Parts: sequence; C-alpha cells; structure tokens
Amino acid sequence: MTKKSLDHVLKEYIDGIKSIYPKADYLFSNDTLFIVVPKEKLRDVTEFIHNKMDCYLRTCLGSDERPLLGHFALYHIFGDDRNGLNIVVKTYLDPKKPVAPTIMDIVPAADWCEMEARDLLGIEFEGRKQYRLVLPVGWPDNLHPLRKDVPYNIRPRPSAVGERITPPKTATATIPVGPYHPALHEPEYFELYVEGETVVDVKYRGFHVHRGIEKLGESRMNYQQVNFLAERICGICGFVHSTCYAQAVEKAAKIDVPERAKFIRSIVLEIERIHSHLLWIGVAAHLLGYDTGFMHAWRIREHIMVLAEFLTGSRKTYGINLVGGVRRDINEDKKKQAIEVLDKVEKDYMEYLKALLAVPEVKKRATETGILPKEDARKLSVVGPTARGSGLDRDVRRDVPYAAYNYVDFNVPVYDSGDNLARLLVRADEVIESIKIIRQLLDQLPKGPIMAEDFEIPENRAAVSLAEAPRGEDIHYIITGDGRPYRWKVRAPTYQNIPALKVMLKGAPLADAPLTIASIDPCFSCTDRIYVINETSARKIVRIGIGLCPG
Amino acid sequence: MSEYIKKSIWVFHLNTGSCNACDIEILDALTPYFDAERLGVKLVVSPRHADALLLTGPITYESLPKVIRAIEAVPRPRFILALGSCAVGGGIWHDTYSTIGGVPELLKILKNRGIEVDGVYYVPGCPIRPEALIYAVGILKGILQKKVKMRVRKAIA
Amino acid sequence: MSEDKPATSRSTILKALEIALKTGRVTRKYPFAEPLITDEFRGRIEIDEEKCIGCGACVLACPPNALELIEENGQRMIKYFIGRCIYCWRCIDVCPVNAIRGTRDFELATDNIDDLVDIVVHDMVKCSSCGSAFMTIRQKIYVIKKAPLTENYIDKDPKCRREKTLNALLKRRGGVMKYE
Repeated sequence: MTKKSLDHVLKEYIDGIKSIYPKADYLFSNDTLFIVVPKEKLRDVTEFIHNKMDCYLRTCLGSDERPLLGHFALYHIFGDDRNGLNIVVKTYLDPKKPVAPTIMDIVPAADWCEMEARDLLGIEFEGRKQYRLVLPVGWPDNLHPLRKDVPYNIRPRPSAVGERITPPKTATATIPVGPYHPALHEPEYFELYVEGETVVDVKYRGFHVHRGIEKLGESRMNYQQVNFLAERICGICGFVHSTCYAQAVEKAAKIDVPERAKFIRSIVLEIERIHSHLLWIGVAAHLLGYDTGFMHAWRIREHIMVLAEFLTGSRKTYGINLVGGVRRDINEDKKKQAIEVLDKVEKDYMEYLKALLAVPEVKKRATETGILPKEDARKLSVVGPTARGSGLDRDVRRDVPYAAYNYVDFNVPVYDSGDNLARLLVRADEVIESIKIIRQLLDQLPKGPIMAEDFEIPENRAAVSLAEAPRGEDIHYIITGDGRPYRWKVRAPTYQNIPALKVMLKGAPLADAPLTIASIDPCFSCTDRIYVINETSARKIVRIGIGLCPG
Repeated sequence: MSEYIKKSIWVFHLNTGSCNACDIEILDALTPYFDAERLGVKLVVSPRHADALLLTGPITYESLPKVIRAIEAVPRPRFILALGSCAVGGGIWHDTYSTIGGVPELLKILKNRGIEVDGVYYVPGCPIRPEALIYAVGILKGILQKKVKMRVRKAIA
Repeated sequence: MSEDKPATSRSTILKALEIALKTGRVTRKYPFAEPLITDEFRGRIEIDEEKCIGCGACVLACPPNALELIEENGQRMIKYFIGRCIYCWRCIDVCPVNAIRGTRDFELATDNIDDLVDIVVHDMVKCSSCGSAFMTIRQKIYVIKKAPLTENYIDKDPKCRREKTLNALLKRRGGVMKYE
C-alpha cells in the first residue's frame, strides 16, 4: 500500500468521525488510529466504523484508569484488514458508576467482551441483557478483580457447592457434554438440546479455565516475565501468544527487533502450526472412529515435537521469546537437522494423508456435515481454518505480515464448501505450506544478533498486535505502564469461532456433533480468560465434553 | 502404596484449568512412541472405572466443585497423580484470584469434607514429558524408585 | 457426494497396514531404555552452594516464584520449589556468579511434596550500628572484591548508611542536630 492511499483512508475515517462528533481527538501511531469520543456518541461512531467502513470488531476491553486520569475507560478495537489498519475507539466512563451504552445490537460479536468488562471491571452496559460470564459461580458481586484497587491475589472463600443440573421437563431431550469428557481434554460444558436425533439448540458454559492471567500480567510480573505467562495461556499455540505479546510491547515502545530473531520466531511459529494441525487431524480421525489414523498422525507429530525441543529446549516451544528478541539461536547444525526432520515428516505425512482421505468412512462423515455457509461466516467474523473452510480468504500472515512472513512465499488454502471436510482439508494443506515456509526461512536465515540491545519501554503507550495462530487470528492489546503492562488484553481465536458452532450444529444429527465441535479446533484455555452463549428457551440438554483443544 | 495396585492402572483424566500442554502430553504418552499401555495404563471414560486420576491444572474456582465430585466418584483405593507444575505447586498462577493453587490446597479442602485419598503422586514438569508420566506410573507400580529428595544445604562462608 | 468410486474398506486397511509395516516399531522402551530426549532439553536447575552468594537476582527473575528468598534468625534461605518451576532457566541468565546450572533431569516424580524442595542457607552479616541482618557474608565478600572502596561502609545496613551520610553532611554544614 502506498503512503498516499493510507493517508486517503485515514482521512476518510477522520472525516466520518468528525461529522458525528466534531471535537473528537485522534492520534495515528504505527498502524493504529486512536480516537476518543464521549459515550453518547459511541453507538454512532460504532455504526459508522462497523457498517459504513465495513470493519469488524476485533475486541473490546475496559480499563481502570482512575489512578492515572480519574476515570474508567472503554476501548473498542476495530480492524480494517484491507488496509492493515486498527481503529481504537476510547470512551471515558464515570469513575464512581461506570455505565456504557451497549453496541451489541450493532455488532453481535461484542456480546462476550462487554460481559467480560462487566465481570472484571464492573462496567454496566445499558440496553442489553447482562449476565455473569467469566467469574465463577459464587463470586462476590461487587468484587471486580481487574480494578486497580483490588489485589491480584485476593481470594474470597472458595465455594465448592456443586451445581447440579436438573433438566427441565419438555419434549426436547438434553444431552450434557462435559465438563469432563473422555476423549477430550478441557473442562468445558456444552448442552445440546435434541429432538429425536436432531440437535435443535446448543448452550455453552465455559470459563472453567479462567486463571486471572491479565491481572497477573498487570500486577505481579514485569515485562519480560509476562512472556512466560503469555505462553501458558495455551499449551498448543503458546508461542503465538508470547510472540503476539512481545510484538505488542515492541510496537508500543518502538523497539527494533533484529531480523534473525524475527526469522527464528517465524520458524517456531510454523513448527507450532504443524504440530497443532497434526494433533487435530489425529483427533479428528479418532472422533470418526479411525484410531489407526489417530496413531499414525501422532507418530508423525512426534518428530516435530522432538524438533521443537531441539530448537527451543521445550517440547511445547516454551521459553524462548522475550521482548526484543529470542533466547536461543539456530546454528548450522540445528538447521541441518531441522531440514532432515522436515524431509522425513513431509514424506510420511503425504503418505498418511493419502491413506486417510481414501478411507470411505472419513470422507463420508466429514462431507456435508457441520456446514457453515459463507454468509454466516462473514457475519460472525470467524477466523483461521474455520473461515478459510467457508470460503473467506483471511490470513493475518499474508494480510498484515508480522515476524518474517513478508520474506516467504506461501499459499493460503481456501475451500468453499464450509463443511467439516473443508476444514480438514484446509488444515491438511496448511501443514504442507508450513513445511514449505520453514524451508524458505531456514534457507534465508540472516546473520546477526538475536536480541535487541538497550531499549526502554516508555509508559502509557498503546499498541495492537496480531498473529495468525493455528486456529486463527490472535489479538493482543497493550497499554504500557511502570515496569509492567498497565493493561493487557488477549483475544484468542476460539473466542471468535465458538458462536459459529450454533450455526453448524443446528438441525444436524447428534452423531455428527463431536466432530463438528472439534472442527473449529476449539481452544478453551485460550478463550477462557473470558466468555458465553445466549441462553435460549428452556429445552433439554445434551452435555458433550469437547475440550479438545488442541489449543 | 503400590501393594494396592499390582495390575493395570486405569486412569481418568481431569483437567482443572491447565493450559492443555500437559493434557496433550498425556495423550502423547498413549501414542506409538511412548505407548503407556505397555504398563497397563488405560484412559477410561468415567471416574467410576478409574484407579487413579490424572489431574492437571491449578484448579480454578469454577472447576473446583466438579473436581471434588469427580474425586468422590473414584472407588477406593483412589490415587491422584498431580501432573505438571500447576497441579503440584500452583504453577505460574499459584496466587491469583481465580485458582486455589494446586493439589496441596485441594487436599486440605478434601480433608475438611472428609473425602479420603489413598495416595498422591507429584509429577513436576512444565509441561510434563510423556516419559515423566511413565516414570510416575513406574513409581506408583513399584517398579521404579524415586530419585528426588529434600535438600537443605549450607553455603559456608 | 463424490463421483469417484469410493475405495473399499479392505483396500484402505491394506494401505494402513503397508504404512505400519514399512515404519516398523517406533516405541521407546522407556523406563527400561533411554528416553526420547535431546541435548537441548531444559530440566531442573541445580544451585551450586559453593558459588551462590545469596543475592536473590534469580528470585527476582523467576516468573512463577519457584525461587523464594526467606530471611529468618539471621539466615537467608534461597528456596527452590521444583514443583512450581516452569523450567525457563531465566535464573541461569541472571545469576551474577554462574552458580546455577541447568540439567536435563525430568525424572522428578515423588509421593512426598517435600522432596521437591531444595534450600541453600546463607549466614548473614549484622549491621555494625543497629545489629540487623541485611546481607549475606558471601555477598559482602563479592561486593568488596568487585568494588574495594566500599569496604569502609559496607558493614552498615542501608538505613544506617543513609543516616551516617546525612549526619556527616549536616555536620559539615555546621548543623548540630542529629538527623532522625
């Protein structure tokens, strides 16, 4: 994009907002336009940005800025992928009684993040149904952990009262799934409402994995320690989170990261993508009853795990990211071994994929099940393989290149059918693309340091950072503070994809439900720093424990 | 403890809010390269069939009641394998507002409620390697000996 | 669904069998044979009590607070709780005297949580004026070696040191009051 067109786009935004509120303050930094508007104008501005300018909501967050400026603040982050722009709309709220207008009727995707802000900061939203989302049942109503006057280690007495679900007596049967389900690994609770064999509705109760990560990052840790915390948001896409966090801080503080470090980050990110997708393909085979396929996928994956350990020192690629660079270098010997492993994996994988797709049951059960039409996908703004399986051509690596992705050539596989098979094929193709990317990166690996030297992180700067996790777009928003982030917000990809499950499952046979739920590759540990599905009518429930996360 | 469990150990996997890394390593331990079924480890679908619980995560408040119910459902003798740094010592979130800080805290709550556990095995790692799980099973079965021991050393000036 | 003729179950079984036969057995016989571990693996850390000066740099760097600093009865303890360690090895990066070494040790399972505690105990220096313990003896030796000039005032704790400096300044300015 040329400079001129960017100016043009910016002018369009600023003029539009000025026509709504002439006194709006704005600031442009990096790739982000920051705008301050009063809360009365928030809905109009949202309408303009979301509907007229065709942006989508990345996330929204509240922040307790009473110690700094004497008020609460609410940020809505919008994304304009065509121009690689982020638009952050800030609204000041009353310090005593923070009340904000909801934008949920304009942007349905704002549902969860508004409720998250209500739980964690006590910001009330006018004009919508409000409910407890993130915090556990039994948590005191007036205790909002992200407020700055609440210590991070406050512990109200643990209530261990079991919730017993008594299904209402109606014609529909309720099948509970979870929170502990045999095949899958995360504690999440789904209720599927079924009539006969057909699913008529779905309810979800998550947030079993809410661990207070954001608060911890804002209180006990310092900038470099948060990297290790960010990794542990998710055991599969951990490196994406730490890269995304580090990039956000680097962007806010304008730190120049050495090229070599960027390459190493990209290499590890792709290794992570391969192991995540292989894991998913294996689990999908397992859910279809094809355990041979499961075992072989994991056998191939093991080579990647060993390689990950060899390059980073941990099987889960933990522990090498820092703000400003990476901690471990890739020397010639490692490079050679990595290429050997990739060759072997590629050969085995191609053979395996051919065998897997030739299994008639796999093809039959994945085809035309769990359909997410393109229209719905766009409306729900789904991300990652879920979007690409429904014909939406979105990939942060290509659209808004970060790390070293602008040095490599790769295809973004897109399938139009929107069914489980399409999502399987997207992931299957991405493994091959990832191998291709790593080869190119290893080949071009530049010389030089792997860590930026002597940098300072100024206070009160903000930045939005994006990264393409194996499951889709990961977003970190940061406001810098004294020695640690002042506010740090994470939006994981699954957060965006879960609402799509409702579309996929409705009217489908129950037997397809496990595969369909797994097909978005849900990662609850990522997501659960937050979220919920609207309760509809009182129907019966089917619990399915699909904690498959594979990250 | 191993006199109770001479034969195959059936395990139930209980994620109490972990990041998934340990959970995937548990699954990994059952796949071709490690194949924990060699030692009789079998993942079962209900805690009522299990001898031991593979507990991962720092135990969040939201999952606590469900965890207690799952432990109650395990027939005695019942064992807990606390897997990973989160389960053993609360991990990186050992003192945050929404976790209770690992199995040692859980045991106190269980004791207050009169729920007995016949043995707890702690398996540190972040995440645990599949081999670490196999090693712990070896100790539980009595075919391996533990190697770590509490150490207090004096730095002589 | 698809126009191409679906493969039969028999042919797919044969294909899977072919892959399995070609691959052969991959299972490691751990614990009776070597684990699948590389040289780069980060395991437990080992603190060398001969070298450690008890400065607490590692404690500050440790993200999960697996390393703790406890002061009790004129002694300072560096307590390493393996059960909370995330094996990031940041402590190794920051140690000023290279007293911490990384190992590849992952066989740490135990049935007693106390086994996972590793403590290094340091004797502390007492302040020559107020008598409070404020640094370890090793730390004092280290500082004197690095900056020999400090020898004159290092036996006072930071509070007494500050008072002493301020009093000296006041005196020089002609004041007679003691700084409090």
